[in-house]
Amino acid sequence: MRPLPHADPGVPDARSPIRYLWWTARGQAVPLLIGIGYAVLWWLAQAFVPFALGRAVDGLMAGDTAALVRWSAIMLGLGVTTAFGGVMRHRMAVYNWLSAAYRTVQVTARQATRLGATLPKLLSTGEVISVGNSDIAHIGNSLDILLRGTGSLVAIVAVTVILLTTSPQLGVIVLIGVPLMALAVVPLLRPLHRRQHAQRDLQGELATRASDIVAGLRVLRGIGGEQVFADRYREESQRVRAAGVRVAAVDATLEGAQLLLPGLLIAFVTWRGAHLALDHMISPGELVSFYAYALFLVGPLRTLTEMADKLTKGHVAARRVVRILSLDPEVSGTGTAAGAPGGDLADAASGVTVRRGTFTALAGAVPEDAIAVADRLGLYVPAGDVTFGGVPLADLPLEEARRRVLVADNGARLFSGRLRDQLDVTGAASDDDLRRALSAACAEDIVEALPEGLDSHIAEAGREFSGGQQQRLRLARALVADPEVLILVEPTSAVDAHTEARVAERLGRARQGRTTLVCTTSPLMLDRADHVIFMDDGVARAEGDHRTLLATSPDYAATVTRSE
Amino acid sequence: MRTMSSDRSKRILPVADRRQVRAYARRLALKYPRQLSLALGLHGLAAATGLVAPRMLGELVEHVRDGTGVSVDTVALTIAAFIVAQAVLIRAAVYASAKLGERVLAELREDFVDRVLALPLSTVERAGSGDLVTRTSRDVDALSRTVRHAVPETLIALVAGAFVLGALALTGPLLLLPSLIAVPLLWVATRWYLKRARDGYLRENAAYAEMTEGLAETVEGARTVEAFGLQRRRHARTDGDIARSWVAERYTLGLRTVWFPAVEMGYVIPVTATILIGGLFYVNGWVGLAQVATATLYAQQLVDPLDRLLSWVDELQVGAASLARLLGVANVPDDRSAGTRRPEGEEMVADGVRYAYREGHDVLRGVSLRVAPGERLAMVGPSGAGKSTLGRLLAGIHGPRTGTVTVGGVPLVELPLDELRGHVALVTQEHHVFRGTLRDNVLIGRPDAGDSEVKEALAAVDAWEWVEALPAGLDTVVGSGGLAVSPAQAQQVALARLVLADPHTLVLDEATSLIDPRAARHLERSLAAVLDGRTVIAIAHRLYTAHDADRVAVVENGRISELGAHDELVAAGGAYAALWESWHGAPRR
Repeated sequence: MRPLPHADPGVPDARSPIRYLWWTARGQAVPLLIGIGYAVLWWLAQAFVPFALGRAVDGLMAGDTAALVRWSAIMLGLGVTTAFGGVMRHRMAVYNWLSAAYRTVQVTARQATRLGATLPKLLSTGEVISVGNSDIAHIGNSLDILLRGTGSLVAIVAVTVILLTTSPQLGVIVLIGVPLMALAVVPLLRPLHRRQHAQRDLQGELATRASDIVAGLRVLRGIGGEQVFADRYREESQRVRAAGVRVAAVDATLEGAQLLLPGLLIAFVTWRGAHLALDHMISPGELVSFYAYALFLVGPLRTLTEMADKLTKGHVAARRVVRILSLDPEVSGTGTAAGAPGGDLADAASGVTVRRGTFTALAGAVPEDAIAVADRLGLYVPAGDVTFGGVPLADLPLEEARRRVLVADNGARLFSGRLRDQLDVTGAASDDDLRRALSAACAEDIVEALPEGLDSHIAEAGREFSGGQQQRLRLARALVADPEVLILVEPTSAVDAHTEARVAERLGRARQGRTTLVCTTSPLMLDRADHVIFMDDGVARAEGDHRTLLATSPDYAATVTRSE
Repeated sequence: MRTMSSDRSKRILPVADRRQVRAYARRLALKYPRQLSLALGLHGLAAATGLVAPRMLGELVEHVRDGTGVSVDTVALTIAAFIVAQAVLIRAAVYASAKLGERVLAELREDFVDRVLALPLSTVERAGSGDLVTRTSRDVDALSRTVRHAVPETLIALVAGAFVLGALALTGPLLLLPSLIAVPLLWVATRWYLKRARDGYLRENAAYAEMTEGLAETVEGARTVEAFGLQRRRHARTDGDIARSWVAERYTLGLRTVWFPAVEMGYVIPVTATILIGGLFYVNGWVGLAQVATATLYAQQLVDPLDRLLSWVDELQVGAASLARLLGVANVPDDRSAGTRRPEGEEMVADGVRYAYREGHDVLRGVSLRVAPGERLAMVGPSGAGKSTLGRLLAGIHGPRTGTVTVGGVPLVELPLDELRGHVALVTQEHHVFRGTLRDNVLIGRPDAGDSEVKEALAAVDAWEWVEALPAGLDTVVGSGGLAVSPAQAQQVALARLVLADPHTLVLDEATSLIDPRAARHLERSLAAVLDGRTVIAIAHRLYTAHDADRVAVVENGRISELGAHDELVAAGGAYAALWESWHGAPRR
């Protein structure tokens, strides 16, 4: 077994779910075929046991010790083969399951990074995440079942041949009876699935209720209301219990039926077989093997139903994956202006120009306006008319545009991992660079409080940090990246005035000589900017420094001092 | 390293020990003796009925050999009749045990939620929800699986297995021997496997979860990935997670590669040995033909209960571990012992207060503060200075390490929780909207309030306008699965709760931080009107909150460095004055 994952998952065939599954299967054709081989061996070894058992019984009855020993040894040999084939088949099944699941994770993750900022616009993140939570398992299952499914088909054919050659009459009874009784439980499956669904839904709701209680526990313990919530939980819990009992009613009937139906068939086979044996049409040993075959055939038949089910589910899962894989990012650079010299960054639609090398602030009477400008300046909107040193920004290769112009907003995420790696995304910064950035973002205290400082592992989305701490860490990360143009959206909205004043003071120094735009309405920050642009109704209305604007533009003054 | 955050909360949330788990399980099992004996009795009967068919078949073979024409038809009918009886019994048995299981399970989870809802305030504030969420979701799930499947299946297997062995012994004590050959093999292999399996599967699940969580992170942070050019790094993370998952999977696969064949042989050997040894006995005339045939079929019948037993036994381990974590929640010691003194008056006094989360690291270093009834006090200061900690102490959530925090002369931590809530409440920037109607969300503050009071409370926090505009108004379902409200709206709801609860002292820890600055100021003013006469301690990061307050306390480095009315502090020309000037745009000195 080659270690997983594949270094390069390859380019998936996303034209249809079937093609995707086929592409996955082809990528692991060798382990798949080997696995099918083991599965066939495993089933066949089991299929011959009833036959050998019958021969052993015949030998015993004839007092033929040699035959008894021989057939017992053969049974043991079949047992050894079953054990070996079974475990090898299992190994290959797990390998194939994992291989398909891993590859799907790889291509989905790669597609997510390719879509980038487009992803949240086209897909709900839940949709993509459910690929990891359930779809990969279904795709894995659909490959796994191919092994056992193919093997069970071979086993059924082999048993058919043995039965019909031994006794056509009994053979026909078994071959018709077994599928019939497998089908007979089908009417029970529908109500079972329906009730299971109802139960799962209720249980899901109950789990949500419980997480809700945990998430809001501070409120409940702080203000009260525990009893109300406990009662409500109890009520829902009892509903889940009732639903569980309803499932159990069908489930119990199914258990009974699964015993009754084969049992009756076996009784019937035994009855006919005994008569045939009395008439010396078959040997007593053959009677025993027919009994055993009727028992055995249940297995391969169940596997076939399982195969139909798992392939269907795999197909549904593949459809979701394919839908995600077939999307394209909405923004792409033409690449005709690679290596453009850069310079002022100008947005024609709003009239906002960020001059090269300055610390500019953008105050919007409506905060959303400033965010829209940031998105255009950062090339996150396809049709923006934005120039960078006179050259359309969209003419730069996208990767280069992203490297040179960085938009850091409050929706940006901290990733889990070593804090140092999460702050220094390129891995090129020195300890000094990191220290400077942390100091500019007033985030040193956060790092100091961590048990292992910069080497501490942080949880996903920085959830162990408060909102203000996350914001300062995000700011530090943007400063470490040190892009040619840095656009910060409300970088201090969640920190206290003391800290904000310090950040404002240090930010200008940290970005000395680089182009920086800060979208903010905080006077502490605006006061420190080289240049302030005031925006209303989506266009720049006034420019100047903070104090001049305070004196000359009443709208600006109203926006930033929040006086009424 | 990777479990740092959960480690941290583990120190706060304990796990029950083995003895407690066992005692609890025993109590639960014996709580419904009638139902339990009914279920077990039915399973026993069903297993006993199932023993008839092989015996009849064995005799049939003998009759066929002898050509004695005992009615084959009668035998076949008898077999059929017993099969029907067994099916009916199985149905009744499965139903009875499932009913009992559901009942026990409901009780378990309800107990757990009661325990969670009784957690001490200080634990709730400190533990974070990570560990508790895991217990609520993963452990309750694991326990459901155990109670629904593992426990009944194990019991059934034990009952059925005992009956088959008994039947074998009755058929011919000698014929029991071949089946026992496999016992040492199964025993040794399974012990070997179980010793390693649990950790192996825990690692496997953790690695798998890490992989899917990594994917979720990539997806949720897709824009950030693009902005910072993190594509290659995320691919490496994905592939690294997969590689770790593979290593963990390969380990458990290795365990199964040993255990599966051993178990399989454990099933094959009894059948083969019975037919061979029994056959040799028969040839020597020690046993009858019917006995051998019956014994062989019984040996085969032993496979099913054995298989059930082996496949659920590790699930039982997992269930016990989950139960230990669920029960452990009750082991948190209570953080306050209520005294009998009741406050006289509403004056809030902190005197020489020191507090540390970690020993030797005082966050508060000698704070003294007197807040008069009806006063509005704003606390400002750099992050990490201890404002929030002081807020929690003033709200009676933690007791000070040294010094006292009293209301009306009585230490807050000596008040029973219900009494404390009547005096002081804390609202933090953390906003949680519960699943349910908006009305329910506000009513948490005072469950017996009427709609007009709910409306007034919402109006006091400027929220009535948007609530009224919702199609279902107060009946709108919010929270997870319902209408999504913005963080700002969630903060308004949290404040409305507090208005309804109406304690005489409110501690607001950045309670309006997520609301648009201009709206926030308006809200604070309308709130102030409603709360007139109430004591309000507001931790604020916006200076106008301080400006509007009666007094301002500047907290720096665990101490109150400046205290006084806004104008006094501005006139004094200290740190606060400098901050205010730069914020307000007045010329810098």
